[in-house]
Amino acid sequence: MEIVRASKRRAFDLASAGLLGLCLPAAAPAGTPAWLAPDTVSGTIDLRLAGADGEPSWTDDGFGKARFGGGDGGGFSPRPVLAEAELVWRPPLGWDLTGTLAVAAQHEQDYPVDLIEAFVTWRPVPRGKTRLSARAGLMWPSVSLEHEGPAWAVTDMITPSAINSWIGEEVKPVAVEGTVSRALGSQRVSATLAVFGFNDTAGTLLSFRGWAMHDLKAGAFGLQKLPPLNNFMLFAQAAETRPTIEIDDRPGFYGKLAWSPAAPVQLEAFYYANRGVPEAVTPSLQWGWDTRFLHLGLRADLGPRTRLLAQALSGTTEMGIEEGAHYWVETRYRAAYLRATHEAGRVALSGRFDLFDSRERGSEMEREESEEGWALTGAGRLRLSDEAALLVEALHIDSRRGTRLRAGAAPRQSQSVVQLALRLTL
Amino acid sequence: MRVGLAFLVAASAWPALAAELTVELRTPSGQSVPNAVVSLYPGGGPAPLAPLRGPFQIAQRNTQFQPFVLIVPVGGQVAFPNYDSFRHHVYSFSPAKRFELKLYAREQDRTVRFDKAGAVPLGCNIHDQMTAFVKVTDTGLAARSDAAGRIFFANVPPGPVVARVWHPWLRLPGNQAELRWTMPARGSQRHALTLKLRPPPRPGAAY
Repeated sequence: MEIVRASKRRAFDLASAGLLGLCLPAAAPAGTPAWLAPDTVSGTIDLRLAGADGEPSWTDDGFGKARFGGGDGGGFSPRPVLAEAELVWRPPLGWDLTGTLAVAAQHEQDYPVDLIEAFVTWRPVPRGKTRLSARAGLMWPSVSLEHEGPAWAVTDMITPSAINSWIGEEVKPVAVEGTVSRALGSQRVSATLAVFGFNDTAGTLLSFRGWAMHDLKAGAFGLQKLPPLNNFMLFAQAAETRPTIEIDDRPGFYGKLAWSPAAPVQLEAFYYANRGVPEAVTPSLQWGWDTRFLHLGLRADLGPRTRLLAQALSGTTEMGIEEGAHYWVETRYRAAYLRATHEAGRVALSGRFDLFDSRERGSEMEREESEEGWALTGAGRLRLSDEAALLVEALHIDSRRGTRLRAGAAPRQSQSVVQLALRLTL
Repeated sequence: MRVGLAFLVAASAWPALAAELTVELRTPSGQSVPNAVVSLYPGGGPAPLAPLRGPFQIAQRNTQFQPFVLIVPVGGQVAFPNYDSFRHHVYSFSPAKRFELKLYAREQDRTVRFDKAGAVPLGCNIHDQMTAFVKVTDTGLAARSDAAGRIFFANVPPGPVVARVWHPWLRLPGNQAELRWTMPARGSQRHALTLKLRPPPRPGAAY
C-alpha cells in the first residue's frame, strides 16, 4: 500500500512540474490562431504548509473531515505539500463562443493529472436589457459563492464551507444549461435551467463519510476514497466512488433563480434533482443515487470593502433496493454557513461559521451513520502581486459521527487544521 | 488644477463679456467625484459645438476602457483602438446608439459615429469588468470633472444658465440633475455640489 502511494505521489509531482512547464510564457509565432494564443492559457500553483491534529483525514482512509489529519497519535505535524497545479485553457471559438478546459494535479487525487472541467460557453452581445447565455459540458453548476475564476479557486480563503466542499467533490455533472438575465431598473433577475447526466453517484460521500471541509475538486476519471463501510455495504458498494458516471441513462435537471434588488445584494435559490435510480448498479458496484436538494444563497456588500456570504442547503439521497419503507441508504442532509470578509488594501480577513448535520434512515445503514457538527474558520489573504498571494488559515471542526467507532475512535471528534498557502497565477 | 477643456480657443466667436465658472463635485461623505459631466445651456439653449474638437477615442488597454467617460459632440466620430494583445468585443445597446465592434488584437482603425445626444454605456462582451460611457453632447460648454472632482469653464456668457450634471452612478432619474444659475458679466463664480451616488455595479452586472 505504501509503495503504491509513494509512486502515485511521485507521479503527481512530475505531472505538476509538467503542467508548470506548459504555463511558462512563450512568444506566439506570427500567424498563431487566436485559440492557440498564449493569453488563452493560465495556470495556478498552490504550495502549502499544512498541519493538523486529530484523526486521519478521509483522504487517508479515515473519518476526518479535513483534507489533512494528525500525525501518529494525532499529533500536530506541519508538512510542506504541493497541493495543486492547475492549467486552464480558454480558447475563443468564435465571437460568441468560448471554450474552457481545466486539468489539474491535486495532491490526494487518484490520477496524477485529471480533467476538472470541459465546457463551451455561448454568450452573444445583449440586444436590449435581456441577456441570454448558455453553457454545455462537464462543469459545476453555479452554486458556490466562495469560488471564482476559470480555475474555480476559493476566494480569500483556503478551505471552502461544508456546502461548497461537497459541491466541489460530488456535484459536477455533464450538463446543457441556459440562462436568461434581465435588468429591471437598478434590479437584476436571472433564471437558469439545465438538463444533465453523469452525476448519478452524487450523495455517496455525503452518506458514507458525511460532510467534510476541504478544497479537493472532483476529477472526471479518478476515484475518491470512502471510509470503512458497514458489514453489509462492504459487499454491496465499491470501496471508492466515481463522481462522474452515468448509470441509469436518466437525465437530471437543476434550476436557479437569482435576484439582485440593489447592486450590493444578491439572493439566489437553486434546486437540483439528478433523478437517479437507486436500484441501478454497475458491475464495479457504483450505485445510482436519487439525490435532490434545495439551496439558498445570499451575497451582501456592507460597504465597499466588506462582504457577507451565506448559503444554506437541505436535501435527501437514496440508494439501493427498497426494503419495506426504506431504501438501503436514505440520508437527509443539511448545512449552512455565514461568512464575512473585510478588505483593507492588500489584505483580506475572513471569518466563517459552518453548521452541518445528516440523518440516516436507510434499511441497511445504522443510526450511527447520522452526524452533526460545526466548524469555525479564520483566514487572511495577502496579495503580493498580480500573480501571487499568500494565505493563512485556521480551521476548527467539531463533529459527532457514530461510525467513527469502526475506526476505534470516539464518535465525537474535534480537529484543528492550520495552513499557509502560496498561490501563484501564471 | 486640471482644466476642463470645453471652452473655446478663438475669442472672436464669443461675446466679449464672459465669466469663469468652477464647479466642485463631492459625495455626501466628502469624497471628490471624478468623471461627472457638467453641460451648460446659456439662456436655456445649447452653446455652439465648435470648441469640442477631436480626435476622440476610447482605447482598450490592460483590459480596461480609457477613458471611463468621454465627451463627444453630436455627429462626432470616436475611434476604438485596441492596444491589448487579445480580442475585445465592444458593444452598446442603449437607445442613443446601438452598435457592436469585433476588435482583433491590436486592431486600431475602427470608428463609430455618434449621432444622437445622450449617454451611451459601453461594455465588452468578453471582459465583463470593462465599462465606459460616451456622453454625446449637444452643447459646446460640456466638461468632465477631474480626479479632484473639479471642472473649470473659462468663458461662460452672462445671464441665466441651465446646468445639467450627469454621472453614470448618480441617484436620480436619467442619472442627471438640472440646476439653474445666473452668471455674472465678468469675474468668476464657484459652485460646490453634493452628489449622491449609487455603489458602482459589480463586474458582469453593468447592464
